[in-house]
Amino acid sequence: MTTADERFHRMKDLPSTHLLGTGTPMCAGCGGLEALHEAYDILGPKTVFVNAAGCMTLLSVYPLTPFRGSWLYTAMAAAPAGAQGIRDALDILLASKRMSAEDDLQVVVLTGDGAAYGMGLSATSGAIERDLDFIYLCYDNEGYGNTGQQYSSATPHAARTATSRGPAGYPGRKKDLFDIWVAHKPAYAATVVGAEPLDLARKLEQARSTKGPRLILALAPCPTGWDYEPRLSVEIGKLAVKTGIWPLKEYVDGQVVHTKAPHPRLPVEEYLSLQGRYAHLFHPRRNDQLIAEIQAEVDRYWADVEGS
Amino acid sequence: MTDNLQRTLLTGNAAAAWGARLAGVDYIPAFPITPQTEIIETLARWIDAGELQARLVTLESEHAMITAAGGAAATGVRVFSATSSQGLLYAMEMLYTVAGWRVPLVLVNVSRGLAAPITLEPDHNDVLAARDSGFLQIHCATCQEVLDSTLIAFRLAEDPRVRLPVIVNLDGFYLSFTREPVQIPDASRCRDYVGEFDNATIAFRASAPESQAVAVLGGSPYSYFRYELHLAAMNALAAYEEAASRYEQLCGRMHANVEAYQCDDAEIVFVMMGSFATKAKEAVDRLRDAGRRVGLLRPRLLRPFPLTTMRAHLAGKKAVAVIDQNLSMGLGGVLHTELAAALYGQPDQPKVVASFIAGLGGRDIRAEEFYEIAATVDRAGDRGETPGPQLLYTADELRELRKLQALARAERRQLSAATAPKPAAE
Amino acid sequence: MYRIRFHGRGGQGMKTASRILGTALFLEGFEVQDAPRYGAERRGAPIFAYVRADKRTINERGIIDNPDLVVVADDTLIPVPAAGVLSGIDAHTVVLINSDTDSQTWSQRLATPATVITFRMPEADEGHGESGYTGVACAAAAARLIGFLTADNLEQAIRKELGEHGATVVDANLRVARASFDSLAAHAAVVCEGALRSAVDYLQPQWTRLEAEAAAVSAPVVRAAANSELSKTGSWRVERPVIDYERCNRCWWVCSTFCPDGAISVDAQGKPEIDYDHCKGCMICVAQCPPHAIAALPEHAAQLADTRS
Repeated sequence: MTTADERFHRMKDLPSTHLLGTGTPMCAGCGGLEALHEAYDILGPKTVFVNAAGCMTLLSVYPLTPFRGSWLYTAMAAAPAGAQGIRDALDILLASKRMSAEDDLQVVVLTGDGAAYGMGLSATSGAIERDLDFIYLCYDNEGYGNTGQQYSSATPHAARTATSRGPAGYPGRKKDLFDIWVAHKPAYAATVVGAEPLDLARKLEQARSTKGPRLILALAPCPTGWDYEPRLSVEIGKLAVKTGIWPLKEYVDGQVVHTKAPHPRLPVEEYLSLQGRYAHLFHPRRNDQLIAEIQAEVDRYWADVEGS
Repeated sequence: MTDNLQRTLLTGNAAAAWGARLAGVDYIPAFPITPQTEIIETLARWIDAGELQARLVTLESEHAMITAAGGAAATGVRVFSATSSQGLLYAMEMLYTVAGWRVPLVLVNVSRGLAAPITLEPDHNDVLAARDSGFLQIHCATCQEVLDSTLIAFRLAEDPRVRLPVIVNLDGFYLSFTREPVQIPDASRCRDYVGEFDNATIAFRASAPESQAVAVLGGSPYSYFRYELHLAAMNALAAYEEAASRYEQLCGRMHANVEAYQCDDAEIVFVMMGSFATKAKEAVDRLRDAGRRVGLLRPRLLRPFPLTTMRAHLAGKKAVAVIDQNLSMGLGGVLHTELAAALYGQPDQPKVVASFIAGLGGRDIRAEEFYEIAATVDRAGDRGETPGPQLLYTADELRELRKLQALARAERRQLSAATAPKPAAE
Repeated sequence: MYRIRFHGRGGQGMKTASRILGTALFLEGFEVQDAPRYGAERRGAPIFAYVRADKRTINERGIIDNPDLVVVADDTLIPVPAAGVLSGIDAHTVVLINSDTDSQTWSQRLATPATVITFRMPEADEGHGESGYTGVACAAAAARLIGFLTADNLEQAIRKELGEHGATVVDANLRVARASFDSLAAHAAVVCEGALRSAVDYLQPQWTRLEAEAAAVSAPVVRAAANSELSKTGSWRVERPVIDYERCNRCWWVCSTFCPDGAISVDAQGKPEIDYDHCKGCMICVAQCPPHAIAALPEHAAQLADTRS
């Protein structure tokens, strides 16, 4: 059996045909959709996606669906609980031989950061605690996107959102969902971004072939919410990695391992300056203090990583 | 920005935000949901710009939001919040709870149809789900009413005979995102109108310890507390009249607990709540032009139910058409049910009280449909027989739906070799 | 009562147009009701906005199904059924189209008794096929066609609605508005108010009875696979990516992987092909193609070239 690394050794190993249907109403240039379509190629149609309220709720609007597999829309706080019910029921059917193994499905929760970092955290914690066999795929566009980009617990420090329009942007800090999952000792957890498709493919393959609660946390550059031209979504995703703002890492076998450690790290400014949600850090005057704070936080993170 | 007597174009959401601002709210626990998000964004912007001295906190869910709202009100500050549909339902446990705490606050609900299937456009099932909770309910038909009702709601909620939270309902899209002329009343006169928040009797202070909302075991004491809540809600009938009268003195607009339009000599009366009732008003005018004696009765207050006023206006009418933008599964329209109960046994109750279900999920109601409703109940009135409930749904609509169903039921396509995922190498 | 609809794409300023016109009418002493109407609420997707104006209180609500004036900011929407541009128009309606094609040709194409007038955006755009002033130009044009709104009145409305963006933006918008307003002098006051909906002679609604149906079809379930492709999101495009196959070096299908919508397929030889029915024109492929083999063309020009070839 090949490992994820062997199956996705080089770029040409990436899927050249795509399973997720076209024609969905996601914004042009949606970084979340990009991550989803890359992930779906690897997870395949023997899946049931369980969704909580967010931008991607509109993936399937009657009578249309982009999925070749299954889908259940639940409610904002409840997707992991819905997943629990489906997985338990599938197991019951398998155990009592009322369903063949060929009809089994991989249960995948799909939510934005609003549900994953906030309202859905209780259901998530419960699901991991019960050792639910599922994948949690979170597209993180760092705000409540579907309602117009209000701040969420995933919003990074100083970002402008619809509810943080002051001169210093969002006063809070981005919650660390990856660490919260790791504290629960899941079967697997990984951060990804659509702009790094090989890294993403390996991690999805690893997740796919593992059992238990698994997190795939995808940074989702968002032209509408982050205020930039759609064509820059991949560039911004790459910069998130190259500046060290979005560490690519995984939790596997009880250890956190970084799959990319940018050397040298680009200054965070190169990432921030492309996005309208950080425009107030540069215009009408540079806010050196805030930029330095953001840089310092990133530097601290990597100093810890390199130190350990 | 400045407070003046001129009218300006405001959306229903902006009007709600103005209501909160003019009431001098202290605390706004918030959570975004379509179609109300603009309310909290407007308030957040004013706070960021120093135009409103209040604290806005985004909670992690509506359940948490209402809990925080109640907690703050119980501590002794003036509280405002806003939600819709799924959020209102997620908070449902806490709506009942907070009402039982007997604390005043104002919650704006921007109505939206309930899942499943999940949708975005309005109907009244969401707000009606809260009708037993102990929250009072005021239903608005125009953006001006939204601003005015928010102020009236604070006065009503804080009335010592009431001390209950109040929902002010406006329809999503048709009011929330629609601009209409609104007069923003003078700020200091509004402050005088709502007065200072009286936290003398319910508060958390070191100097006056209180155990609030304690458990109550035993049906007899429990019954006492619950029935007292109901009596407080009934007190709100008189308290509302006074609050509305005082408001008329403030700005010249009277918002009675029920709006009666052309009812006095009407033979046929439409009964409807919310923004679509203005469409019924328009239909009344056209029908009157055509020589028909038609009127509209629009309850603004739903809880407490304005029993006496409704009975008075409908007494002796030939036929009543209740148009419900909601549906209680397994029974029918809620307003129809409540009205029928209110009219039962009355000496001169209308011969016909017919139920029409319309506007679910924001489905429009055409002028012709109002005319047809009037014609239908008129004929029924002649026969003296109430017809069965009618869903406003046309053959064309059903034809379109069948097309969608065909698309949705299309045979599952086999994955061709070209689209199958690459097999993993062994 | 005046009933006006503005049709455009997300990002073209239809909401702004409705608000400028609404405010202008309000300043003129009318009761006004204006609202945007979103479909998918995405940039490039069809949206419309509407305005009602009357001397008396407005009790009508909802989508305007019998407009007196329809303003079409983007003529590529006309053949898109979901955009509903021509919905409810009749002989009394004036249809104003922002188009290079003349009004006579449009009249024939649409086979409508409505009055068709065309106009061009005052700021001709070379680069991106999208003018930042579309909204204000449409509002100004509508104002002229309604007739009694003065240029001053329009200016006041623009200042009120756009003032928060600063003097430079306001002045630019005022220039565009003035040019648009003046350009339609020949058609001033051509719009007339619609009639009231008579309760004497009305078309009876054909209400039907819904019968209970099996849950398998009466529950909101979709059994088709990936039929989302029936939604032609290619209609959102204002720019089109075009591959130069001479320069394309059949890399590891960068474009196909990065396209968020999966609108680029790659054949067995590694040759990429763009599905123009579904390409939304995000231009990520243009930005990421390593040999820069994909160019960005204005969609409007590309469509004209299509129809000619």
